[in-house]
Amino acid sequence: MYPKILFSILLSMQLLQAGEYAIISNKSIRTLSKSQIKAIYLKKLTIIDDKKIIPINLDSRNILREKFNKEFLHISLTKLKTYWIKQHYLGHRPPLSFKSQKSVKKFIEQVDASIGYIELKNINKNLSIVYKWSD
Amino acid sequence: MYKILIILLLGFYLHAQDKYELGNGVQISSYPIYLGGYFSVDYRNMNNENRYRLDDVALLSYGNYDKFSYMAEVEYKQLYIKTYTQDTSFSSSDTNLYLERLYADYNYNENYMFRVGKYNSPIGFWNLLPINVLRDTTSFPYIIKNIFPDFTTGLNLSYTSFENDEIKINVMLQHNEDLDDNYNNYKIDAHYGFGILYEKEQYSLKLNAGYFNRADTQDILKNRNYILLSGKYETEKFQLMSELGYQSSKNKTTTPYSSYIQGSYRFRPKHLGVLRVESYKNRLTNIKDSLAIFGYTYRPIYPISFKSEYQFHSIKRENKALISLSVMF
Repeated sequence: MYPKILFSILLSMQLLQAGEYAIISNKSIRTLSKSQIKAIYLKKLTIIDDKKIIPINLDSRNILREKFNKEFLHISLTKLKTYWIKQHYLGHRPPLSFKSQKSVKKFIEQVDASIGYIELKNINKNLSIVYKWSD
Repeated sequence: MYKILIILLLGFYLHAQDKYELGNGVQISSYPIYLGGYFSVDYRNMNNENRYRLDDVALLSYGNYDKFSYMAEVEYKQLYIKTYTQDTSFSSSDTNLYLERLYADYNYNENYMFRVGKYNSPIGFWNLLPINVLRDTTSFPYIIKNIFPDFTTGLNLSYTSFENDEIKINVMLQHNEDLDDNYNNYKIDAHYGFGILYEKEQYSLKLNAGYFNRADTQDILKNRNYILLSGKYETEKFQLMSELGYQSSKNKTTTPYSSYIQGSYRFRPKHLGVLRVESYKNRLTNIKDSLAIFGYTYRPIYPISFKSEYQFHSIKRENKALISLSVMF
């Protein structure tokens, strides 16, 4: 009896903690597939809907950045750093990084064709969802 | 002219932003212009001969604006060589500055990209990142210098799709002289080639084929055709890469096969072990060789690379040991 109650409580807590996240833009970008988002953040894909797209990252120590990497890039931060050194030889730069979701939102609201990722609960009416995922 | 370019590039360095991390280059003020470079020093022991070399001292600049971007790279090749044999020693120095790459890109839309200028021929995988600091061994496979032109001067048109997996098709067109034919493995005045790449998660497969014309000879076999099949599998710690090439001329086979398979394993974050097995046969030089290379690479940070390797050849006099230090900045 008790183990069942305990299990139910733990499961409920887990569900409550499961976060929902979104790739956002300022309404100028259409919805994108997972592989397109990966290509944008690796700077393999730079134009969407005839606009130069600007991907925005959170700081490398941010937990949401880790979740994003796991969901879309499938690559460790060390390997990603190596990737960008190789890209330096090919003439490509890593995406800009911001410290907080607040600054990501502010940038995206002001800069056309920029995209970033934040928690779903932090979205406002000026932003549109390009892709949504959860833990 | 190249020397003026290098002075300008160095001048830009003085206006670079303060924040700098090795291997990432620097941004010029707040302009979308970046500078970087790399160099390599190596040592070779072969047949009781010791060679020390300062090689590949290169400076590169790139940038982008809207749908346009550019890349410029100049390089000193074999800037200083000192060789010691059993009886004597001699040195040489090539102080010519070579133009390695100079091209502009235009991204027409999310699928199509146009490139014009001198660029690394997008053939196979190795030739895309050919410099010492970015590769896993000091040496490069025979196939890289003997099947296709490493550089093309002309147009490159590419189509890429990222809908599910990555598919990339590209066409190379050269119908003119090289921008700097002293910096290419073949002196060519024509190159027409295509490539198709398929990438799915950790797997990549590529097929290239083409034709080129050697400009430095009137030999009956100056027109060459090539075909190259490449494959790559990569995880966090392990990489397996292989390329297989064939070259012919006027219905005669010049190189019936040239291939390698290389496995590299990162057994500690900064330590890499490499094993490469190669085999080739060249009917023009009448040389046939098979070799195994055992290598070890230490990178205190990724843009600094200490490498050592030993090569065991079926042609015994080709056995050699190589050690190098290379840095990207």
